[in-house]
Amino acid sequence: MIFNSLPFLLFFTVVFFLYWFVGEKNVKVQNWILLLANCFFYGYASLKMLPVILIATLLFYYIGLKIEHAYDNPDSEQAEKTGSRWTTFGIVIGVGVLLYFKYFNFFIESFISLFSLFGLQSNWHTLHIIMPLGISFFTFRLLAYVLDVNHGKQHAETDFVRFAVYVSFFPCILSGPIDRPQFIKQLGKLRVFRFETAQDAVYQFLWGLFKKVVIADNCASYVDAAWNNIDGSDASTLCLAAFLYAFELYADFSGYSDMAIAVGKGLGLKITDNFRTPFFALNIADFWRRWHISLTQWMTDYVFMPLNLSFRKNGKAGIIMAIIINFLIVGMWHGDSWIFALYGLYHGLLFVPLILSGAFYQMPKIQVYEHLNLPKPKDFGRILLTFLLVTLGFILFRADSLTHFAQYLTSMCKMSLFTMPLVRSALTRTLLFTLIMIVVEWLLRDKPHPFAVQNHPLACRIIYIYVLIFCILEYAGDAQSFIYFQF
Amino acid sequence: MNRTELLNRLQDIFRQELQDESITLTEETTAEDVNGWTSLTHAQLINNIEDQMNIHFSVREMMGWQNVGEIMDSIERKL
Repeated sequence: MIFNSLPFLLFFTVVFFLYWFVGEKNVKVQNWILLLANCFFYGYASLKMLPVILIATLLFYYIGLKIEHAYDNPDSEQAEKTGSRWTTFGIVIGVGVLLYFKYFNFFIESFISLFSLFGLQSNWHTLHIIMPLGISFFTFRLLAYVLDVNHGKQHAETDFVRFAVYVSFFPCILSGPIDRPQFIKQLGKLRVFRFETAQDAVYQFLWGLFKKVVIADNCASYVDAAWNNIDGSDASTLCLAAFLYAFELYADFSGYSDMAIAVGKGLGLKITDNFRTPFFALNIADFWRRWHISLTQWMTDYVFMPLNLSFRKNGKAGIIMAIIINFLIVGMWHGDSWIFALYGLYHGLLFVPLILSGAFYQMPKIQVYEHLNLPKPKDFGRILLTFLLVTLGFILFRADSLTHFAQYLTSMCKMSLFTMPLVRSALTRTLLFTLIMIVVEWLLRDKPHPFAVQNHPLACRIIYIYVLIFCILEYAGDAQSFIYFQF
Repeated sequence: MNRTELLNRLQDIFRQELQDESITLTEETTAEDVNGWTSLTHAQLINNIEDQMNIHFSVREMMGWQNVGEIMDSIERKL
């Protein structure tokens, strides 16, 4: 049940009215409605896998309580030992579930290939494993919970309903953002309907929907055609398709995130941000502070930080090691293929010059000409360079294998690069809408979200809504699934 | 070293490492309150504290700190 579908519209309408009318005065009723909605939403998508998420939720609820209980022991050494043991158990289960469902066959296939490389036969077989939807997202929520409880950053949740709502919150279960356990705190308070928040949610939802169906889905047609015929395409067409893929991925994933956040807002809940105009990043470190923020922050807190602290005596070499390992995991998080590991390694290596020069520690701010509201040439150059490096990485991300990547890259470096790219139907309007997206997000780059227009005059807001709905109905591309559902 | 002296010592290390003389620490100060104290500079700060005070922290200990006061508690246990 995707956001841009009739079943979701019906589902959300029912949830919305029950939540605000039946649960208006009782926080417990609100939470129960959310839990039932989560179960229905997940069961509708994958009924067979509903028990997996339910059992995992029950188990981690219990582990959380055991960790907290362990620290009640007045003997601090014993308390730490027991708490750590339960935390390790939770990590093993969480990572184990993820490895089994997502990576088991990948490891078996990799071992078989490795053995055959040395002329050895192996009688290992892959298994027919169905991956539960959203597994990368809900396991990360569960892992963050046990780690935070162990570090004393979060109290173990005693109310099972609240905990289960956090793990399975339907707007975020299939594709994030990955909320942290602090989200649970909101579930302890009665949510009150606020018209301004709901209005803001509508603007953000429509903007997300516009990005998904008008930009991402239209870009997808051009991109897919180019990738399906690499040898028969001009270098200029492949080059244009590479740029369009960067915009497709962004519009698809940030569009989904905007819609998820808006749905959360509609229910009076704040979901963590996932994107902050990443294509205006000044370097690769800045890019990762703006792209898939909830994953980057998760990885920073639970992978990079412990590694960086462990390697602290090794100076810059230690930071480089921590970054490379961190990004290898970020890459592999996306899927069971070595190409994703390479994607992660590529980004990790892009950090090396920043670490060596010290730029890694700076939080750069774009220098603009105030009267023109345009970036200064030096920063414009940095934005452009970062965008080019990111786009190159996305070719790796989109390829099925290293050979596929090499084929695309070499086909892009031909004399036909200087010819006109192939103009397919809808290309002009795709480029125009992409340009509109860039301009709007540039103008609203300091706002809480990319379409925060609630302070604009009412007449303007009515026009925005009308234009967005018109474009969505009139110029939507062929319906495509959300790219990040596969992860 | 009493608690105030320890806090002043930490403040000097923070000022030196983050190159900002305006930093003023209290026991309640968190990373959000200090400009430049980020997940990236944290390891360098800790390394500096360890070197100057000749102590060693475990990763678990460091991951649990919520504010400057908790760093001071860990240091006091080791001095």
